Amino acid sequence: MLLCSLTLSPYANASAPEDAATARELVSALGRPAPARTPFAEARFMKMLDQPLVVSGQLSWLGGDRLERQLLQPHRELSTIADGEVTQQREGREPRRFSLKRAPQLQALLDSFVALLGGDPARLEQAFTIQRSGTDATHWTLTLIPRDPKLVRTVSRIEIDGRGNEPRCLRMQEADGDLAVDLLGELAARMPAAPTREGLVALCQGG
Amino acid sequence: MRRGGRWFLLLGWLALLAVLAVVVVQRLRVSTDLRSFMPAPSTADQRLLMEQVGEGPGSRLLLLAIGGAPDDALATLSQGLVQSLRHDTRYTQVLNGSFDMAALDDTLLPYRYLLSPTLDQQRLDAPFLRDQLEQRLEDLSSPAASLLKGLLPRDPTLEVLQLAQRWTPATSPELREGVWFSAQGEALLVVQTRAAGFDPGAQADAVAGIQRAFDALPARAGATLAFSGPGYFSVVANAQTRGQAEWIGRVSTVGFILLLLLAYRSVASLLLSALPIASAALAGMLALIVLYPQVHGITLAFGFTLLGVAQEYPIRVLSHRRAGEDAVQSVRDLWPLLLTAIMSACIAYLAFYASGVNGLRQLAVFTVVGLLVAGFSTRYLLPYLLPTHVRDVAHMPWLVTARRWVDALPRPRWLPLFVALATVVMLVAAQPPFWQNDLSALTPLPRDLLQRDARLRAALGAPDVRYLLVLQAPSQQDVLRLSEALETSATALQARHVVDAIELPSRYLPSDAVQRARQQALPDRAALERALADAEQGLPFQPGLFAPFVNDVEQARGLPLLEPARVEGSPLGQRLAAMLQQRDGRWLGLGTVSGVHDVAALQQWAQAQGDAVRVLDLKAAAESLVVDYRARILQALWVATVLLVLTITLSLRSLRRAWHVLAPMTLATFLVLAVERIAGVEISLFHLVALILAAGLGLHYALFFERDTGDLNEQRRTLHATLVCVLSALLVFGMLAWSSIPVLRAIGLTVSLGVAFHFCLSILMAPHARQD
Repeated sequence: MLLCSLTLSPYANASAPEDAATARELVSALGRPAPARTPFAEARFMKMLDQPLVVSGQLSWLGGDRLERQLLQPHRELSTIADGEVTQQREGREPRRFSLKRAPQLQALLDSFVALLGGDPARLEQAFTIQRSGTDATHWTLTLIPRDPKLVRTVSRIEIDGRGNEPRCLRMQEADGDLAVDLLGELAARMPAAPTREGLVALCQGG
Repeated sequence: MRRGGRWFLLLGWLALLAVLAVVVVQRLRVSTDLRSFMPAPSTADQRLLMEQVGEGPGSRLLLLAIGGAPDDALATLSQGLVQSLRHDTRYTQVLNGSFDMAALDDTLLPYRYLLSPTLDQQRLDAPFLRDQLEQRLEDLSSPAASLLKGLLPRDPTLEVLQLAQRWTPATSPELREGVWFSAQGEALLVVQTRAAGFDPGAQADAVAGIQRAFDALPARAGATLAFSGPGYFSVVANAQTRGQAEWIGRVSTVGFILLLLLAYRSVASLLLSALPIASAALAGMLALIVLYPQVHGITLAFGFTLLGVAQEYPIRVLSHRRAGEDAVQSVRDLWPLLLTAIMSACIAYLAFYASGVNGLRQLAVFTVVGLLVAGFSTRYLLPYLLPTHVRDVAHMPWLVTARRWVDALPRPRWLPLFVALATVVMLVAAQPPFWQNDLSALTPLPRDLLQRDARLRAALGAPDVRYLLVLQAPSQQDVLRLSEALETSATALQARHVVDAIELPSRYLPSDAVQRARQQALPDRAALERALADAEQGLPFQPGLFAPFVNDVEQARGLPLLEPARVEGSPLGQRLAAMLQQRDGRWLGLGTVSGVHDVAALQQWAQAQGDAVRVLDLKAAAESLVVDYRARILQALWVATVLLVLTITLSLRSLRRAWHVLAPMTLATFLVLAVERIAGVEISLFHLVALILAAGLGLHYALFFERDTGDLNEQRRTLHATLVCVLSALLVFGMLAWSSIPVLRAIGLTVSLGVAFHFCLSILMAPHARQD
């Protein structure tokens, strides 16, 4: 741990020292071996829609920078992020491919996800400033704010709620006001039929 | 001349040269466009070639590869390079595979409904919109959401993406990190230059601009930029040739100076004898400046080569001086012969003027003016400056021995006949082809450059520079309609793997008829709003979200149909300008062809489409142009030969004497040709030019050897002068013969061989030493 904090010292000064240390400790504890799979349910609140979009399926970290997002409801779709490219396959359609470079939000999501699942605080601190709130084991929240000034203009912050060494919720707040909330693990089954922002935040932080 | 007068003359001459030099430096505009050195095209294909060489869409492409760093760094560099080149007016198109909205700027966006084929099969009705909106909803819950979010209100059917897809090359390389990558892991880019592909000067500027932009990019540690493409090749070939020519030129200049010092043992003589040549070069350039707005680079290069003949004039004067005799007197004695030599060289070079090719005409003007100035300044200025006391070369012991040895050589009467027979035998026996028609064979590129080009071209699906699809019709609209009619069978051709891709003009600009049909298929505002409302039933889109879409459609309904003039200057406009051209009241559509696998099948397909469609083989057209070119030079040479015979005969006032001068020269010229042919050399234009130079030099040798003075000393001086001339020519051109660049080798080898043969034959066939 000492070695760890020494090597990380250039990044550490963005957040309060003791806060950063506990955050790092937490991230290290979250690590698990790849491949790691978890069910998820996502609600997206977008300005252009008058009700949230809800989808669910399974998220898999295949190790390295490879992430798979399989949608089961309401339609089937498989998206893979690998080697800087996103591939999207939908039944009966040509696969769509695009670069991660063109989707900075995805890059942020990938960075946070891979660092969390890999238990790699160094990587996480490279991309984000980290704050931890709620120090007790029953509930904690990690707030990640992108360091890249360009990225922060689209993704304001990512909040990860969890309990013990289990992340339960990932909330991505976009700068234009849009919000995506992903319920992870056992919480995925508890996505309400008509979710609201407040309801989901309460679910993430409380229940 | 008094001492003061001599200084006055020297300073005056130098001052005049300095003024000339200033004028030349300030006013000379050198053009590097190879086309101005080509003959006027006579067939339709040749004419198209002249426009396409350099102007065609294929030949203006530079292919770039960035390597030597990790993928993400290369992708960032690729994007950075595109950013910095996009607003540079030297480049009309910069592509790296990333989705390019800039092809249609904001004001043109409503045109997407007239340009995209969607409306050919679909109507913007409720069921279609419903399907599209459902798909967009799925998109919004996918990782692509952030990509499409911004487009959605204005373009819910993603017409912009349709167009982008339609306009990306059919076979495009792998996308990594959003940009094109080769299988070797280099980021790939395609840049279209405004400059013509075969204008090495302008291309060098374009290449340097890209390199500078690349060097200015941040964080490019270790990454390297590699170029390919016709324009780059012309730059490389130019630099290569110039580099070697300069290097060889420096070495041979030093050798030449040493040789003259050795021959005349006088620095003053050496320096002064440079004045006529310098005057010749400057006067020649001045004449070009006066007569032509631009002077071709090749004119100057060839011109300086051909002006080599003029070196002889001061050398003759220096060698023929007698001990204690005034230089003016020596020159007076020499002048009639020298004048004949000058006039005959002028006549030979004047032949270039008759060729009708602009570059060659310039060459004629330059050399003729140069020779006259060199000759007359040697006669009327130089002798007044030369030191009064010189060593008479006639009494040098080695020269006496050499002359004796030369006089003792056997001179069989059958020699000319034997040489002529041998020449004919060699010419007949040599392996065909006689002529080298492929100009590119003369400036070959390093093998690895060509391999890289093939690799990048294949990876990028860049159009072939050799084949071009030409559509011809009375009007632009006819061309576009024809192009549309071809689309189906062209696609079939691709499916049969005859070619990898054919890109037709209608891909970028549909005909008015098609645009109008699409326009008429667009619903009016009320109908669209109704359809949209129906489609949105039960979907969570905010009411009024698609107002920008409705506005665009409404605007598209009232737009004047898109024509090239409206997009002028934009990337789309540039593409169209390259693909649609008006000529002689008719319109041409130029389609590019990529990856030709079966030329015969391609030709057959084009023939089946009728007269209006044909495949132009630019290489074949170029070769036919070279053949025409050569025919003109040969014709001009015949004229020159006749004039030469007349001049020599008249000035020598004797057919027999003329024969003694012309026979060795003619025989030696053909002997060079025969020896080169039997050695497997195919004769190019450059060989012909070199043969003419050698013949000019040979004529001098023969003229001087023929001069029957009966004065032993004068004969020795003639031998001395000729030896100095021969050695200096061999020094300069012998060096060129070792060059690795075929153009330089062709000139060097031909002139060296020529000088040697002319020298030997004119000695052996000289009349005076014969014992009869």
